[in-house]
Amino acid sequence: MKPRKVPTPGWNFEYLMWLFIRISGAAMFLLALIGFVGALAMGARTQMDLGTLMRWTFFPNPNHVLNSNIVDIAPWANAYWQIMQLAIVFFGATHGFNGLRLILEEYIHSWGWHMFLRLVLLILWLITLGAGFFLVLTS
Amino acid sequence: MQVTLKIFRYNPETDKKPHYETYTVEAEPTDRVLDLLEKVKGEQDGTLTFRRSCAHGVCGSDAMRINGVNRLACKVLVQDLGTNRITVEPLLGLPTIKDLVVDMEPFFEHYRSVKPYFINNDPPPKKERLQSPEERARFDDTTKCILCGACTTSCPSFWLDDQYVGPAAIVNAHRFIFDSRDQGAEERLKILADQFGVFRCHTIFNCTLACPREIQITRAIGEVRKAIATGRLD
Repeated sequence: MKPRKVPTPGWNFEYLMWLFIRISGAAMFLLALIGFVGALAMGARTQMDLGTLMRWTFFPNPNHVLNSNIVDIAPWANAYWQIMQLAIVFFGATHGFNGLRLILEEYIHSWGWHMFLRLVLLILWLITLGAGFFLVLTS
Repeated sequence: MQVTLKIFRYNPETDKKPHYETYTVEAEPTDRVLDLLEKVKGEQDGTLTFRRSCAHGVCGSDAMRINGVNRLACKVLVQDLGTNRITVEPLLGLPTIKDLVVDMEPFFEHYRSVKPYFINNDPPPKKERLQSPEERARFDDTTKCILCGACTTSCPSFWLDDQYVGPAAIVNAHRFIFDSRDQGAEERLKILADQFGVFRCHTIFNCTLACPREIQITRAIGEVRKAIATGRLD
């Protein structure tokens, strides 16, 4: 069978977001796994309770392990873990807000409301990202 | 055996709102639900309205909700339902015209929107447009669609927003997109990449479960998505 190929319709918004939802979903699993392994390397088995371990796993911020028995947190408060946190904030917030957009657009059918709600969600998404990034970069 | 049929009734000329009526009929376990509806209409209440034509699972006229699941009334045997209490309702997501009859026009509008016909602007060859058995097999599954509407009206995405083209339209687009003789794939993929196209599908699989022809609908939708992303039609 000879392969048939047609020009693709291109990168429209719906396709892009559909792709993003899948990539970010997988990315969040991967980031949590890295956080989990990081916590174990930090000494979670003996120095952390389960709650602390989970907090670091899903958001590897040094403040989350302040009350644990980890002796020296300084090596974990570095740019690498900050980037991990920023990635989690970005993927989580964008994934969630796009999900919210899809749900709203399925229930609400007028074009005007769509545009209005997209704008509201865009603003809320930017505020969430701003607040999250601020927290990561200043803690 | 005695079967109790609870049937959705609505006559827009006399009823303000729909209601259910209950009928008791004598039935064999091997009777089809369509037989019971015929029995009610012929012996108890001639005003009961429903669509039917071939009564053999080919024309797709009598798709309805039987005990909460979209099925063809002519393909469901009483013994397969595992109960002698049967609830029959019209398809969801389309306006009810009367009793079990729904307005199929929104469904067919979506069907027409994907250009469900052969497109090839080359002059026709002397005999026929040839195709290998493998090329024919590529879209065999989606040729089985009988346009009963059971899939589209079982889809929660369609219930929420009837602007979504729905699984049946995508299945029929798939039938031509992957046909090696057809040249309309590009325009169909463009239509289906739209806001109300394939990306509205959340892989719920209701359509696949509802299809009386056992078409792998969710798989077909996935293949169309893949074609949109890659442009490959093999």
